Amino acid sequence: MNGPAHLLVVEDEKNVGETLAERLQAAGYRVTLVATAARARQAWRTAAPQLALLDVGLPDGNGFDLAAELRAAVPQTAVVFLTAHGNPEERVRGLELGADDYLTKPFHFRELLLRIQNCLKRAQDLAEVPQEMRGVARIGRARVDFERFSAEVDGVSHALTHKECAVLRLLASRAGKAVSRDEILDKAWSADEFPTSRTVDNFIVRLRKLVEPDADEARVIRSIRGVGYLLTEVTHE
Amino acid sequence: MNNKAGKGSLSVMPARRARLFAALAALWILLVLVLGAGWVMLLISQAHQISELQALTGSADSTVTAQWASTHRRVVGESAVFLLLLLAVSALLAWLYWRESLRARAMQAFFAAVTHELRTPLTSIRLQAEAIAEGDQRVELARRLLEDSNRLESQIDKTLELARIEGGGPLAEQSVPLQDWLRRTASAIAATHGARVDLQVEAAAGLPPVLADAAAVQMILRNLVENSVRHAQLERVQVGLHAQRRGEQVLLEYRDNGAGCAVRGPELGRLFGRGAASGGSGVGLYLVRALMERMGGRAEFHSSPGNGFRAELSFVASQEAPP
Repeated sequence: MNGPAHLLVVEDEKNVGETLAERLQAAGYRVTLVATAARARQAWRTAAPQLALLDVGLPDGNGFDLAAELRAAVPQTAVVFLTAHGNPEERVRGLELGADDYLTKPFHFRELLLRIQNCLKRAQDLAEVPQEMRGVARIGRARVDFERFSAEVDGVSHALTHKECAVLRLLASRAGKAVSRDEILDKAWSADEFPTSRTVDNFIVRLRKLVEPDADEARVIRSIRGVGYLLTEVTHE
Repeated sequence: MNNKAGKGSLSVMPARRARLFAALAALWILLVLVLGAGWVMLLISQAHQISELQALTGSADSTVTAQWASTHRRVVGESAVFLLLLLAVSALLAWLYWRESLRARAMQAFFAAVTHELRTPLTSIRLQAEAIAEGDQRVELARRLLEDSNRLESQIDKTLELARIEGGGPLAEQSVPLQDWLRRTASAIAATHGARVDLQVEAAAGLPPVLADAAAVQMILRNLVENSVRHAQLERVQVGLHAQRRGEQVLLEYRDNGAGCAVRGPELGRLFGRGAASGGSGVGLYLVRALMERMGGRAEFHSSPGNGFRAELSFVASQEAPP
């Protein structure tokens, strides 16, 4: 990574946004602060950020939709939601939409800094695609490009979230061998997150929707009872 | 601005109570159905008995069968009335259940909104406090702290006032000289928002005093100004207050130059009503309307995209001299 990491802060509460931006700048980051979804779109078109801190409630939209747009436009950007709504349903929704992390207000700034560092580290690891994973890999009916965080299915391109990409990459790197749920959790989630094995299962359900030719029969990503999952086929084009 | 969602009150139906209510309603409907089936069987049985009696006596117009037929008709009539009554009570129960469910949902939304409204300034306060603890001594941080603590205070006041109003709490109405009061209080309210509000007060000469609770009028103006600051989408919002006599009433017109919204007037000010992308707890404008009505006056709200927000507050003119 050259120079300070670029963070996009999308926060409509003036005092929170300004103080957050000042403190992040003091911590050594380059910060772009915007208060609306429209300004956020302009900002990432001008300069793609490495990480976006998104407030969920915005005056001209919501952070969840904005995260999906950001994912499609700049797949490399890590997304962290900052929200005053701490109910579990919203948290799950945020994480399922591909958020790399989700922090409930009020938070400790040092905790936020730690989460940002972890997310940036993970994003950097994902950006460094090993030689054998470069190019397009055919997994089931999907053509997956790990460098671009995208999967093409029946001519339609889908943006992969960082975690989807991490899980799929792990399974692809061990194709033909079973990978335990614990190992998936260990590799794709950081130590300060507290997911369950069920979280992995939810990600697998979503990945199957992309890669399985037959939605009713999982042949590409098979469940191995009591162990985890096994990717049966991957061919590099 | 406040919009959408239904009007409700502070009565909450907890989940356990709602389940009990649903179980009782189901039992009631079952009872109605069993009674209905019982009556139908009784009527059929009676009809059979009449037929058998007619066959035994060999005459259709004998006194006994005529009396049986009369009794049968009376039982049919009574059964129909009683069943209709039961069905009406069932419909009432169903309606009550539906209304309580709506209220419970509105309350849930309200608590979520209030939590949001408390957590946001708390986040800001914690960020400023952490910065100060680490040696940042900028005056700007103190200004933000004050602003956030004002916001917290206002939210708590609104919630308490809502509980008081819904609980039928009294107002201390007296003769208030609106003209002088506006100049002092409205300016002080605007001052709490610093450079974000530019407030102009204009009052017609010879304005009579109004019958009002001064604390309630203060809350009304504070809520209106907060609403403008929150929704105007401007760095500095211009607010105009214009008071004039209209018959036996004093009309106070409040107007801002904000972005406005497409919500119809009657929808604005509904309790717990909030726009999808709008902040707030959905209480501010409701309190304005409720307090005005409690003082014998009226509040009407108007807004349209690009034309800002306007409120017309009608106070009852007082015949007494101010204390």
